[in-house]
Amino acid sequence: MGFQINCPNCGLRDVYEFKFGGEAKERPGPDADIRRWRHYIYFNKNANGLHEEWWYHTAGCQSWIKITRDTATNRVSEGENI
Amino acid sequence: MALKKPLWKFCEPNRSYDAVVIGGGLHGMAAAYYLARDFGMTNVAVLDRRRMGYGGSSRNTEVIRANQRAPEILPLYVQSIRLWNELSAEVEWNFMVWMKGLIGLAHNAAGVNSMRMRHATQTNLGIENHILSPEELKKLIPALDTSRSAAIPIAGGYYHPPGGTVHHDAAVWGLMKGLHRHGVHLCPGVDVRSISIKNGRVNGVEAKVGGNKITISAPLIHMALGGWSSEVAAMAGITLPVVTLPLQAMVTECVKPFLNHVVVSELYFCYCQQSIKGDLIMGAHLDPWQSYRSYNTYEFAAEQAYFMLQLFPDLAHLKLMRSWSGLCDMTVDGAPIMGALPIEGLFIDAGWGYFGFKASPACGKNMAELIATGRTPEKITFLGMERFYEGRMVPEVYIARS
Repeated sequence: MGFQINCPNCGLRDVYEFKFGGEAKERPGPDADIRRWRHYIYFNKNANGLHEEWWYHTAGCQSWIKITRDTATNRVSEGENI
Repeated sequence: MALKKPLWKFCEPNRSYDAVVIGGGLHGMAAAYYLARDFGMTNVAVLDRRRMGYGGSSRNTEVIRANQRAPEILPLYVQSIRLWNELSAEVEWNFMVWMKGLIGLAHNAAGVNSMRMRHATQTNLGIENHILSPEELKKLIPALDTSRSAAIPIAGGYYHPPGGTVHHDAAVWGLMKGLHRHGVHLCPGVDVRSISIKNGRVNGVEAKVGGNKITISAPLIHMALGGWSSEVAAMAGITLPVVTLPLQAMVTECVKPFLNHVVVSELYFCYCQQSIKGDLIMGAHLDPWQSYRSYNTYEFAAEQAYFMLQLFPDLAHLKLMRSWSGLCDMTVDGAPIMGALPIEGLFIDAGWGYFGFKASPACGKNMAELIATGRTPEKITFLGMERFYEGRMVPEVYIARS
């Protein structure tokens, strides 16, 4: 089985309704050098466990949400509307 | 008649080695094998948290080929096919290499163009490939629906004779046999917890075996961990440009042989091959979100069955026997990360995503050369991790995309 995501607007919905937006990362400042930007864009913590991530609810409210999910179990905690 | 001598043995690791390979999959074992075979380095251990071949090595769909897009990597695949063909005789073990050829299908003009571009690249590098019309495809695969009335008719295809299959379990067992013969230690159940670094170079690992904590010292450490690469690289303080995504595949019941080639549809992102046993192994669906959990979904099975019926309408009512999933470490450009890391004595072979199986012997051979001599072999010069900082991407093409 896949899993479900708790959308703050639409409630518990199947994961296939969403588009994955990647890990929530800290954006470098405007004066950061190209190396830092490339690190920000291409590199990931890729945690085996809890991490914060972005999702776009394509087949629902069409808004971006940030959730905390355990990648080892795919258990999702509360979503946050952005 | 029972064998008097076992073909391989497992053991607990010693306290010190010349080199340690973390990850007992095909890539890790191949690296250890060629370290022993080509460079006489036999004081080596292959460590795995679970068992040899637990991850992608036994979860793939067994396809080998040399037809990806990037000319930077193609020579590696050519070498790999040659090594697959040599290994059976060398190890005296049947790897069940079956050079049945691979047929790719394009369903629209964009697909045909991309196919022609890859055809040109391959021809340039001396890799055999033929462009086929729908009529020629029908002759090679009579069961294929090439009619104009199909939902998305087939516009053309290619025939890639160097493609085929290798039995993945036979490959794992064969390498285990080869390693045991060279005296390399095979250590399953060794959970590496930390990598120790002194003055900018590695000097060993700490691991848990059963309930005990042990220290293994080694001046050279190779990480070949597939989907779990980020976890172990983090132990050395290294962040990788990969995400771990789950890939699903499935197999049907056995039927009379009707499919003599591996068939890939590049529009539907699915491929299919009939094993010697007669079952159809098909894949693959890459869920585009990070997950370390293996799972299978109804969506995958339904979608895959739909795609298959578009290509082979006669397969209707065939039963699905099993489905499974594995973890893919995907890089952003779709090409792997191979080479030395900024910490001296630490090496990595990762980012192979869903297409690492076919390349495993060549990866092992090139990584072994790098580990033993310290010189980066020509075939993997473009694949270092530094390319992501330098903006030198290797443009690889995705086949499995959801």
